[in-house]
Amino acid sequence: MAKSSISNNIRTLRFMHSEMTQQDLADKVGVTRQTIVAIEKAKYSPSLEVAFRIARVFKSPLEAVFSYDEEEESI
Amino acid sequence: MSFKQKNIMVTLVNFSLILLFYLLRVSQLLRNDNFSSTPIFRLWGIIIVMAVFVTIAATILTHIVSAIIAAIRTGQKNPKIEDFEDERDKLIDLKGTQFTYTASSLGAFVAMLTFVFGQPPLVMFSLLIFFGVLAQVMGDITRLVLYQRGF
Repeated sequence: MAKSSISNNIRTLRFMHSEMTQQDLADKVGVTRQTIVAIEKAKYSPSLEVAFRIARVFKSPLEAVFSYDEEEESI
Repeated sequence: MSFKQKNIMVTLVNFSLILLFYLLRVSQLLRNDNFSSTPIFRLWGIIIVMAVFVTIAATILTHIVSAIIAAIRTGQKNPKIEDFEDERDKLIDLKGTQFTYTASSLGAFVAMLTFVFGQPPLVMFSLLIFFGVLAQVMGDITRLVLYQRGF
């Protein structure tokens, strides 16, 4: 499946937050670990609600976690 | 592999076995010149009952096996099994269901076509249940592929 035009910094943010595991993040957000894996690999774009919950875990604004790549979209 | 994937895998294997059983029984009826309404409708009933019980049994079996594997792996008496559904699971399930409905609708259309070619209603009924079970198998394969790819 083609990668979506929405990229994210979740892996970096996890590392910066005391090397949080994918399972820890999944538990805090309320999704499965497999969903976090799919989001990190940009294979799955989460709903707005989950995106906000992820941003809240990292105490960052949504734009610091997710970014929309317009160039990739236009290709 | 997540709990959901294991559950789909067990259901897929079970429905494939049901499909195989159905095909064997129909071929047996054809060979014995016993392709009449009574055994065909009896077979319908058996297949539907099997499908219902298999779906329930698959979930229970997956729970038990997952708990045993998790207990062995973690050494805990009551290990946590991740059996809840999140939004991605629901979307994958919906896509699988959509595929199942599309396949079964096409199957129903093909089954109806047998009337055009002058076949008796029993052929239509036999094809209808065949495509119904086949659609379920195809839907499960779609779900597994989506889980493997991420979405």
